[in-house]
Amino acid sequence: MTRWGMVIDLARCTGCAACEVACKSENNIPTVSPDQAEMGRATSWMRVMAEPKGAFPDTTLEFYPRPCMHCDNPPCIKVCPVRATYIDPEGIVGQIYPRCIGCRYCANACPYTVKYFNWYGPEWPESERQYRNPDVSVRAKGVIEKCTFCHHRLQKAREDARAQGRQLREEDYQPACAEICPTDAIVFGDLDNPTHRVAELKEDPRVMRLMEDLGTQPKVYYLRQRT
Amino acid sequence: MAEAATRGGHPPWRTRGEQAGRLSRRLLIPVLGIVLVVAVLVPVIARGGPRVPQPVAFNHRKHTQDLGLACDFCHRYVRTGAHSGLPDASTCSLCHSSPQGTSAEAARVTELLAAGDSLHFNKLFRMPDHVFYTHRRHVAIADLACATCHGDIDQTERPPPRALVTIDMAFCVSCHKAEGATLDCNACHR
Ligand code: SF4
Ligand code: SF4
Repeated sequence: MTRWGMVIDLARCTGCAACEVACKSENNIPTVSPDQAEMGRATSWMRVMAEPKGAFPDTTLEFYPRPCMHCDNPPCIKVCPVRATYIDPEGIVGQIYPRCIGCRYCANACPYTVKYFNWYGPEWPESERQYRNPDVSVRAKGVIEKCTFCHHRLQKAREDARAQGRQLREEDYQPACAEICPTDAIVFGDLDNPTHRVAELKEDPRVMRLMEDLGTQPKVYYLRQRT
Repeated sequence: MAEAATRGGHPPWRTRGEQAGRLSRRLLIPVLGIVLVVAVLVPVIARGGPRVPQPVAFNHRKHTQDLGLACDFCHRYVRTGAHSGLPDASTCSLCHSSPQGTSAEAARVTELLAAGDSLHFNKLFRMPDHVFYTHRRHVAIADLACATCHGDIDQTERPPPRALVTIDMAFCVSCHKAEGATLDCNACHR
């Protein structure tokens, strides 16, 4: 059974935030004004969080790229009154925008705070408008959005494979962040397929998941910094 | 004084009958307005949007039935693309750069082409942007006939003002159920 997941090697991540930018441009995420960002209304499906480590003067920053964890036991979907957010048979936690009534229960249920509410209609500077991705819908005011593992890429990849009469390959479906990462810190694939890199990487001794004790069973794994 | 009373609306010395007459005259315009708006909007909503204009009165029956052209002669990407594609002047001019047939409309096409008109046809269907749909998936992979979703468009003699079939999610889902195709939200929503 296919279970899409991600392994992020923190020893490789330099905090460059290319994944954040790639995600925003891939998924039509509008930029907000500085005062809105100040109020916590900036949307960033993928966010590189910086965690200071060590005591002065031996301090360093550890970077955690943080997408939606696509939990196998997602608390967000249990609270949705209209099944606008749900887990699909391949483990991707979907967000069905036209179905969402904007109650924001799920945003509050998510322990990783990866869900964003559209307080306003999307706005782009005129110069950026033509660069929107036609494969991804533009979310309306009043709905929740979050990382989808770029599942629109899966829709296309799967169709390409079927049209060519072959199986889906690992490289056919890669989210924008994994594709752009210059140090290959983000690896994506089918956790249950032994030929995919993630299947092996998730067995690494450095592996950990965020807030594992909550029982959310995230499908995003991190490999700790080497010490 | 008299002027002020009129502006005030309900001078106390008017009889009830006069007041009622005044009221009905005041309501007349808004009521007529509403009736007019409803009369225009209801048919539009019921039939799924405003009329779609086309540059020429294309005769599907003539082309597909009498001349036996395949749908993908003009809708070129129907087996390979997301959008089936609409013909433009270059497609029409394959035949119509010289006069064809006897109809006045065919003669007009030749004239328009000679004048360098781009013959921009308009889409009858608009896919909401949150739907992942491709013609390739349905026509080439699933082997559906065009009429499944487009009705008897190939039998029409003039451009229909609107799509012959109304496609909504229930329409998609009923076919997906009947054919055993995917019902997963993420398969079609994006
Ligand atoms: S905000 Fe939308 S997706 Fe989240 S719980 Fe409410 S309806 Fe469901
Ligand atoms: S990380 Fe949050 S939004 Fe993503 S599946 Fe888990 S609970 Fe839901």
